[in-house]
Amino acid sequence: MPTIIIDNREFEIPGGVKLNCIQAAKLAGVEIPHYCWHPGLSVVGSCRMCLVEVGSKDAKTGKIAMQPKLVPACNQTAVEGTVIVTNSEKVARTRAMVEEDLLLRHPIDCPICDKAGECSLQDYHFAHGQDQRRADLQPFTSRRRDIGDVSLFVDRCILCSRCVRFAKEISGTSELMVAGRGTHEEIDVVENHPLHNNLSGNVVDLCPVGALADKDFLYRQRVWFLRRHKGICTGCATGCSIWIEENQDRIHRLKPRENPHVNQWWMCNEGRYGYPHVHSDKRIVHPIRHQRAEGFNPSAECETNAAFSGNSSRGDKPLGSLSHEILDWTDLPTELNQVLRSSKHLGAILSPFLAVEEAYLLCKMLRGIDKNAMLALGPIPVVGEDEHFPKGFTVRAEKCPNRRGVENVLTHFTGKIVPYGNFLKSVEKGEIRGVWVAGGYKNDWIDEPTAKTFESVELLIVQDLFPSPLSERASFLLPVAAFVEIDGSYVNHADRLQTVPQAIRPPLGVRSAGSLLWEMSGRKGLYDAQAVLREAAHEILYFSAAAGGVPEAGIDLKSNLLAGMGKIEDSSKIQQA
Amino acid sequence: MLLPLTLEALLKIALLIAGLMTAAAYFVLLERWIAAWVQDRLGPNRVGVPLTKIRLFGLGQPIADGVKFLFKAEFTPGHVDKFIYFLAPMSIFAAAILVFAVIPFGSALPPNIFPASWGVGEPIQLVAAPGIDVGMIYVFAVGSIAVYGVVLGGWASNNKYSFLGGLRSGAQLISYELPLGLGILGVVLASGSLRLETIISQQAQSGAWNCFLQPLGFLVFAVASFAEAGRLPFDLPEAEQELVGGYHTEYSGIKLMMYLVAEFLHMITASFLIAILFLGGWHFWGLTDGGGPDGNTVTWVVAVLRIIVLLAKVMAMILFFMVVRWSWPRFRYDQLMDIGWKVMIPWGLANLIAVAVWVEYGDRIAHSLGLPPLLCMGLCGFVILLLGWYVATKADPTLNDNRPRRRLISPDRHVEKIEV
Amino acid sequence: MNANDKRIRWVKEPALGMAGKSYLLLFVQGLATTLKHLVSRKKTVQSPEERHEIPDPIIYRGVHRLNRDEQGRVKCVACFLCATACPAHCIDIVAAESPWPDREKYPQSFTIDELRCIYCGLCEEACPVDAIELTSLYDLSGKSREEMIFDKQKLLSIYDQTKDAEPTRTERLKGEGGGGKAE
Repeated sequence: MPTIIIDNREFEIPGGVKLNCIQAAKLAGVEIPHYCWHPGLSVVGSCRMCLVEVGSKDAKTGKIAMQPKLVPACNQTAVEGTVIVTNSEKVARTRAMVEEDLLLRHPIDCPICDKAGECSLQDYHFAHGQDQRRADLQPFTSRRRDIGDVSLFVDRCILCSRCVRFAKEISGTSELMVAGRGTHEEIDVVENHPLHNNLSGNVVDLCPVGALADKDFLYRQRVWFLRRHKGICTGCATGCSIWIEENQDRIHRLKPRENPHVNQWWMCNEGRYGYPHVHSDKRIVHPIRHQRAEGFNPSAECETNAAFSGNSSRGDKPLGSLSHEILDWTDLPTELNQVLRSSKHLGAILSPFLAVEEAYLLCKMLRGIDKNAMLALGPIPVVGEDEHFPKGFTVRAEKCPNRRGVENVLTHFTGKIVPYGNFLKSVEKGEIRGVWVAGGYKNDWIDEPTAKTFESVELLIVQDLFPSPLSERASFLLPVAAFVEIDGSYVNHADRLQTVPQAIRPPLGVRSAGSLLWEMSGRKGLYDAQAVLREAAHEILYFSAAAGGVPEAGIDLKSNLLAGMGKIEDSSKIQQA
Repeated sequence: MLLPLTLEALLKIALLIAGLMTAAAYFVLLERWIAAWVQDRLGPNRVGVPLTKIRLFGLGQPIADGVKFLFKAEFTPGHVDKFIYFLAPMSIFAAAILVFAVIPFGSALPPNIFPASWGVGEPIQLVAAPGIDVGMIYVFAVGSIAVYGVVLGGWASNNKYSFLGGLRSGAQLISYELPLGLGILGVVLASGSLRLETIISQQAQSGAWNCFLQPLGFLVFAVASFAEAGRLPFDLPEAEQELVGGYHTEYSGIKLMMYLVAEFLHMITASFLIAILFLGGWHFWGLTDGGGPDGNTVTWVVAVLRIIVLLAKVMAMILFFMVVRWSWPRFRYDQLMDIGWKVMIPWGLANLIAVAVWVEYGDRIAHSLGLPPLLCMGLCGFVILLLGWYVATKADPTLNDNRPRRRLISPDRHVEKIEV
Repeated sequence: MNANDKRIRWVKEPALGMAGKSYLLLFVQGLATTLKHLVSRKKTVQSPEERHEIPDPIIYRGVHRLNRDEQGRVKCVACFLCATACPAHCIDIVAAESPWPDREKYPQSFTIDELRCIYCGLCEEACPVDAIELTSLYDLSGKSREEMIFDKQKLLSIYDQTKDAEPTRTERLKGEGGGGKAE
């Protein structure tokens, strides 16, 4: 445990890790302003904002020797006896000078700059800058250049080169460069090679000023109107930790949340821009009961799809041979319980988009009604191949968040996983009379012929986000909440379980699967996802690590699994003996 | 004999009620005007003749107000005690009207209005119930019913603000009835009659109004009337800033109007009583002298003049009531009680004793001093007023330290001294 | 708070003299003030026959207007600062990239709920380009709530109506010389 001295106070910093002075000071609660340094990127020390006085204390004599010049804290490793002074007059003057220099030619267009409000330049200028500007108030606007996935406001740039280093080191694509020399330096791309890769969105987060702007978010909202909530990306099996930033229940952008075990500081564009389906007006927003008439021909009803979505008006509407009735949530749990109980031979399809709690509640409830209920894992969407990036960031081909979680819940209840195909065969044979399909897929997941298989089923309850060929055949079509609208836990490809709270409210008429199942299984009070997870953790060995709550960065279930397997072996030995 | 008397009584009652109701309505307008003028505004000046554009300086306002009150939703909150809730405004209103049975609004009309064959020879007295010997007691008895209207209204409303208002006004009205009674007692003792007509005619005969003879009694009675009428600076029953609306918070529509009209009637009653008891009633020197042995035989001119003089005095009192409202802020509750119990009652007692002594020994004292008795009595009265006022000023019973007693609050036993 | 708290400073009430204690003088004083006002000149303005005289229309806080720039386009740059400053949350802006080459951002829609507005003038204070200003028009009324939600077009038309009588802040600063640099 090396001891360092920051502003006349001694602190012990953790040993064994190499920390620079910025990080060490941060641990001690002292903020050293910086632009160009980023923990995930190499050090260049070009912005000079983190200049501090550095010295060292002689361990034997106790004498402190300071270096005559100011030193960039980002490039100075904190070791035993390092002395850092951040609050001296000299440092303050230097910071003010750096700020003035950066603002010399920085346009005064904060009112229209999307970064305003979360801009390091603004914040540091308020904290460390001069009160008065000595330079002309020119220019007022910034030149704008389209450099591919993001927009570049050339004059706002302070040339910290974070984006250049990111493109070189993290995405490995090296599209960006610093062009020109001296005062003519600008960030640019080579002609015909625009910034275009699956991680390009991160340069916007990296940019400490408003030079790089997200095209999706551009001019959409001022950042101070946004509220951020913890979330998990459901775009692929990586399960990146994200911030969900919303205003009045409308998501305006997703940003990566630092999680050293999953995504470090990054997320892919696919996940970053993968939220619009939440606000799609095609979503199912009412629970609907279908009355199937004789001579039912669903294919003729395909064009009435729109009627199921949010645009449909309330009330009974006979559509050909099919009539559908919009239901009220109040009586629905009781009614569903009744129809499930009256139907023998139940089965369920659980999509890998379900949260662990929802999957657990569904399995538990169906097994409670029919203890031989057939529980199967829904189709796993796989697109292309895993996309690896140099420093280890991977975009998975498996485009669902919780295959491992649902699999393990199913394994607990059924012993081994029933393949989707087997389930379909059983349905075809008529072995299953009542089917609960817990969907939640973002896009088409079932085709017309497969959906036709379910026509023989007496009771078909479909929970889904969007209408599908299956939804027209459902006896009950239930809307579900999207990933940002639920309390729940997901297990990623590496068996890391993360729990997040609800970020926004679902649209009117939508109720989360968790709360419906909570009520259907006769539990009292409001839906409590944490209680369900605790229950599952006590019951299912795989989740047992989550029994004591889940920290922000998630819990690795794998280590626990190994220990648990040992235990099982032990018990079998005892039995043999 | 019976028919014309009945007719006469009914006519007077009709005249009184119509006059009082109209007066109350127009006093509301006057109140609003004075409020506005004191605040440098113009006040209501838009409503004139209905359905036309004639504005008449806003003289149509009372009609508009009345119509609005009548057509307002008659809302009865669900939590009230219905019977008492309805009874309270009626009782206060009825009591306020009933008082006027014995209050004269003039002296008498000239005799022989009716043909001799009707058998009515006496002059018509301008009071609804003439010749009641216990007039003052009646006024007092009926006036006291007002406190029931207020307390019951506050109680029945089942609302803590109303209840507090009711409680406060219960205490206030009862407290100030004592100085009120003491003020009257001085007058009654001096005149030896409870009949209001007699009290007036005695002042008229001597030409010395009671306010000159018993200034302290006058002061006590006037202040107590303010408190009894619930006018500022004694309007604690309502105290909008503290109690929303006091005892009538939960009332609306016509029931609220009954309360408001009753309040104005109280003010009118108080003004009448002050004018009659202390300001010589219809008497004005040189204007209202009548003939006959008791000076009550009048011509038409004198009869009308007497009415005008009385009403002018009443009007002046009412104006005074209204102007005082905008001059002085409300007393604090403890000050109200202190003024009632520690100032007004001693003053009233002092006045009463002085009058009693004067009635017994006055003539002898005046004779020994060689002064006219009335002048002597007036001088004594003013001396007593000054003395009383000086003593009250010196004692200053309204000065209270209302700050928390630190020793009482403190758990710390060592702090003994109360620092002020 | 404990009455024995050391931080409490106990102040003595100023003692009344004899005149004060006797109430008489104070009473007469109060009555005199009241009577003086009773007969003084009245300040009421008999609207609508008489119009309220606005001493300085520039600082008056009436209905809003959206100023135009030299080319007649909306001057607003959709920075949302007025909406941020608004304590009544009555300003709703939808921003978009501007269709003009020399401007970056502009309000696609700009609505003010005049019924919700408390006419505090903070939007005017917050505006970095002097695009939103409060005029001296005070007697606005409408037959429905919807009518009182002023959109961009309506706010611009108020500018057209009032621009001659009430110059914009930018123009005034230019007239005075000096401050024009901020534009």
